[in-house]
Amino acid sequence: MGTNRKRLVAAAASMVVAVSLAGCGGDSGDGSGPKGQTDQEVTEATKGGAVFSLETAVTQAWDPQRTYTGRDLSNQSRLVYRSLVDFPKGVTDNIEGQTPIPDLATDTGQSNEDATEWSFTLKDGPKWQDGKPVTCEDLKYGVSRTFATDVITGGPNYIIGYLDVPQDADGQPVYKGPYTGEGQDAFDQAVTCDGNTITYRFKKPWPDFPYAVAALRSFDPYRADQDKGDKSKLSVFSNGPYMLDEKGWNEDSGGTFVRNPEWDASEDTNRDANFDTITFEIGIETEVIIDRLIADEGNDKFAFTSRSVTPAQYPQITGDVEARAVNFESPFSNYLVPNFNRLTNLKVRQALAAATNRAAYVGALGGDKASAPSLSIVNPSTPGYVANPNFGKAEGGDVEGAKALLEESGETLPYPIKLTYPIGSDATDKAFAALKATYDEAGFDVTLDGLDPSGPYYEQIQKPGSDSDLIWGGWGSDWPSVSTVIPPLFDSRVNITKASNGQDYGNYASDEVNAAIDAAAAETDIDKANEMWSEVDNMLAEDVAYIPLDTTKFYFLHGSGLENYVNSAGTNGYTDLGVLSVVDGGK
Amino acid sequence: MFAYTIRRVISGILLLVVMSVVTFYLFYASSSTPERFACGPKCTPTQLDTTKRALGYDEPTIVQWGKFAKGFVAGREFPDDEKLRKAAPEQVVECPRGCLGYSYGYSKPVNTLIKDKLPISVSLAISAFVIWIAGGVLLGITAALFKGRLIDKAIVGLSLLAFAFPTFFIGLLLLKFVAIRWGIVELPKYSDFTDNPFLWVSGLILPAITLALVYMAGYIRMTRAFVLETMSEDYIRTARAKGLTRRVVIGKHTLRAVLTPLVTLSGLDLAGLLGGAIITETVFNFNGVGKLSFTAVQRYDLPLIVGIVLLLASFVIVANIVVDLLYAVIDPRVRLG
Amino acid sequence: MSSSTAQLSAEPAQGGQPGDPLLVVKDLRVHFPTADGVVKAVDGLSYTLERGKTLGIVGESGSGKSVSSSAIMGLFHGSNAQLSGQIVLDGTDILTLREDEMRRLRGRDVAMIFQDPLSALHPYFTVGSQIIEAYRVHQSVSKKVARRRAIDLLDRVGIPQPDRRVDDYPHQFSGGMRQRAMIAMGLVNDPSMLIADEPTTALDVTVQAQILDLLQDLQREFNSAVIIITHDLGVVAEMTDDTLVMYGGRAVEYGKTSEILTHPEMPYTWGLLSSVPEVTGDTSAKLIPIPGSPPSLLNPPSGCHFHPRCAFRDKVPGDLCRTTTPELAPGGRGSSHLKRCHLADPESIYQTEVLPEIAPDLVDLLAEENT
Repeated sequence: MGTNRKRLVAAAASMVVAVSLAGCGGDSGDGSGPKGQTDQEVTEATKGGAVFSLETAVTQAWDPQRTYTGRDLSNQSRLVYRSLVDFPKGVTDNIEGQTPIPDLATDTGQSNEDATEWSFTLKDGPKWQDGKPVTCEDLKYGVSRTFATDVITGGPNYIIGYLDVPQDADGQPVYKGPYTGEGQDAFDQAVTCDGNTITYRFKKPWPDFPYAVAALRSFDPYRADQDKGDKSKLSVFSNGPYMLDEKGWNEDSGGTFVRNPEWDASEDTNRDANFDTITFEIGIETEVIIDRLIADEGNDKFAFTSRSVTPAQYPQITGDVEARAVNFESPFSNYLVPNFNRLTNLKVRQALAAATNRAAYVGALGGDKASAPSLSIVNPSTPGYVANPNFGKAEGGDVEGAKALLEESGETLPYPIKLTYPIGSDATDKAFAALKATYDEAGFDVTLDGLDPSGPYYEQIQKPGSDSDLIWGGWGSDWPSVSTVIPPLFDSRVNITKASNGQDYGNYASDEVNAAIDAAAAETDIDKANEMWSEVDNMLAEDVAYIPLDTTKFYFLHGSGLENYVNSAGTNGYTDLGVLSVVDGGK
Repeated sequence: MFAYTIRRVISGILLLVVMSVVTFYLFYASSSTPERFACGPKCTPTQLDTTKRALGYDEPTIVQWGKFAKGFVAGREFPDDEKLRKAAPEQVVECPRGCLGYSYGYSKPVNTLIKDKLPISVSLAISAFVIWIAGGVLLGITAALFKGRLIDKAIVGLSLLAFAFPTFFIGLLLLKFVAIRWGIVELPKYSDFTDNPFLWVSGLILPAITLALVYMAGYIRMTRAFVLETMSEDYIRTARAKGLTRRVVIGKHTLRAVLTPLVTLSGLDLAGLLGGAIITETVFNFNGVGKLSFTAVQRYDLPLIVGIVLLLASFVIVANIVVDLLYAVIDPRVRLG
Repeated sequence: MSSSTAQLSAEPAQGGQPGDPLLVVKDLRVHFPTADGVVKAVDGLSYTLERGKTLGIVGESGSGKSVSSSAIMGLFHGSNAQLSGQIVLDGTDILTLREDEMRRLRGRDVAMIFQDPLSALHPYFTVGSQIIEAYRVHQSVSKKVARRRAIDLLDRVGIPQPDRRVDDYPHQFSGGMRQRAMIAMGLVNDPSMLIADEPTTALDVTVQAQILDLLQDLQREFNSAVIIITHDLGVVAEMTDDTLVMYGGRAVEYGKTSEILTHPEMPYTWGLLSSVPEVTGDTSAKLIPIPGSPPSLLNPPSGCHFHPRCAFRDKVPGDLCRTTTPELAPGGRGSSHLKRCHLADPESIYQTEVLPEIAPDLVDLLAEENT
């Protein structure tokens, strides 16, 4: 029977995926720039069917301007919110998959010479779910909402600092958002509509602005007449292929999206919209999700998730279950930073870097299915990534080298180190204990300081006077560019105040690096910019401003009834809902 | 009895007021940074400050409590912002009298959230209650009647086992095997009783059993102990000396005496559960008050935490009053006053 | 053992009543196996009771007096107690009865009144309902009839306004009223035998007398045989025809009450007599408690169980008290007065050494009677 053969082919195809992925795990830094993490491909699809997203974490917001998690940003883009530009569907190659293509706009934007001004022209055709066209005013209103920082919380609201709106005495923009209208004139000068052309003016050059537009939802249009402020947090007013059904969104259990009759498939070619409905079932324990996907019964045949298989369940991923699994590096990187207020001796920092046992750390986290050692703070999926040669071998743990460096340092040994990290699972504790082992062997005396990430951890590490010597940090870029990795983490000017070090947990402050950051950020040629970023990364590495640890790996499982299951680069490695389809359309 | 009830209700209300102050100071005055959760993972200190002000956490605790108390008595509006009320009245959330606050995590009034979730927790609590009382009392009596014999040892042993295993573990085990692997029952899912009573029951079976087991274990041992204790009472000897059959001695005289402590304990246990079973609800993804409180704590959603604490406290207070009144009904020796 | 039973089988004839005795207890043993060993609560007890007569069983707590009467009620059926010997009630050995047969006897042919009426009445049921229940379990009558019977009996035992009080709960009754209600419950089926286990111990003195009077009246009216278990020799003196003194699970002295009280032949009985406070008598009388504590039933003393506490042990030649258990046998006062003691002439020791101490004014009186 046709169905069976098709399934067989699909299963065989994804088996290849799993096998080849296992091959490319681990050291992917070949210096030639990132490749696609999976070799999944889009095949012909049948329309129809219902798909199910099984999730643990609740969706914090369906308000585009308040969304900030990778999964939700990607899902919203594919289902309900279109942007001026978008990342292409179904592409796993990191470069191609993370290069913006036109969506609501006619092209990927026009900038002035120094990239301080960007203009986009809206297509004729995109409509809201009530049939009204998407206008330039909707776009302008959307970005204006972020200025209402007392209402529109939780999103990437730092972007209001980029727009050319003057600051008040507190250092905040004079514009306070559309609800009170305070400072509206200032905003109206920064963002202008001329017919269906919108122009954004920035304080500084923003060469990769289209990447930000595609990756975040902050610049998405929003209909002023649908805006109820905080009350709109979980409501959806769609201009994409789907819309929330009449039951709406339940904050704890999820909801169902059905087709949006006003969406025009011929005009929007970046969303295949294969399935008829998608239901989000949220709040399920991860272990239970994986169990259900392994069992592959009923609706779960058409289900997928953004939760990785837990290490305890690895042994169950065999045979036909393995054929439904994918394992690849996520866009999330983890690292350590030395506290520059305390570890002022370069040799000591170098010794720490040398002794960092990435292999043992990764092993404790669950092995090569859970994580891969990394050699840069930049994630391998980010265009511009280069494995930093300063950090030696991927596995790390060079005790002899570290010993020698420590002896050169002239410090009294053992050298005391307080290592602060956020507590999580048992595996987390074991991973840090594994790091401590080689540090201690090399001549350090490490005290592990695991703190609750819901408060105490950040309070400890963000204090400028913190007594932590070595601090764990994790980062995922906001859009595919090194400019959203290095500056937010190491530019002392945006981070360090009297009260806090912001994201610069190591209190790293270097005028040289700051200057190099400015230069790279202003470079409008992306390739040239990437070379410059790579140079900044080298400067950081020479100072040992950070020590790379690992890249978290995704280990996703999905039901047997799904086809065109692709973890696109443009959807942050999560299931690309723009191409996903149901076998035979669910018939 | 009426005067007694009134007196108890008044002291209950006073207790709740005191509790609201205590919980406010416990949570609002603690060193936690609840604004971090609203602000997001990459929040800068300035944004953190703005968020803190927006959520009203910058005000002194007593002022915040005052607003809470005023909101409970007279109702209040969120956000409490004169400018916004004029500029965008549709954004202001009305929270009428009895207002327990506004959850910024959910962007909904606490009352609405509790009203939505309570039926789920109550359904779960009641169905578990039925199972654990029926099972616990029946098995407890059986164990007592066969004291020292194999059946007694088996029941006591199994109840100890059920007691020893964490609810989370039992729930996950049942879910994994009974529902997912073997497919004996459908995946547990809450349905409204009024929509479909059959689905309501079938969706509740596993979670109710999970929740009931740990209580059942306790009630088996308690019932067994109560029965054995009662059976050594003089009045049971009197009943036997009268020539009553064993059935009457056990079924009437013994159980009547065992009933009293059981009613007291089970009433209080049920009241505690009405406010949600955190672990069971989490395992089975039942979005009741238990899971709500779990989420509230995770997100440092202070108004929600305080609201739930007060709800639970009022349940316990009401249950205490009810149990005391019931006690007067079932135990003729007790006189209220 | 055979000697004691042989002695006793002749004993009832002393009462001079025609026909078989109502109750014959022969070599009754009640043993409780425990983790530490066997507790011999009753160890070879024999006695006889005629219709309409009253037997007093006296002893300290733990002497086996209550256990032996519970055995007569068949209350050990279905427990782990080991019973042997015979309890012949009206011709039937109840130890051979099945539980359901025994159950039919309980409350109908033999009823029991317990020591503490507050704990012996069910706190959650009305007094009336408990009496009605006792009646209806043995008689097939309607609730209404049973209720009338209950009210009648409450009236008979002296409860004022019985038609109203019948619906009261036990805690609404005073102590004396509760005991009256208990008696009413015991008598509701006209039992041929009534066992009263310390019926007045929990009551205050004035009420005690009323209850005892009531019991006596009722016994006459119903012609029941009564066993009164007590540690109060005053009650024994007032109420009983025969007296059985128990110590450590065994009978140590048995005979007519008048005989036992005036010519006790066992040092333990002397001790009991000397522990009775004299309310009306002269102040020179000494109150002499028995030294030591009751014997362990798990590991009783060798020989005479009483020997560790006995002040007259040295009057017995050799180590006899410690090594040899004395038989329950007639002493110096005829075959109807049995004692379990090695003393050769207890009568003279009592007269010369004990009596002057405890009741100086009686010495002459008794001496006179003796001659």
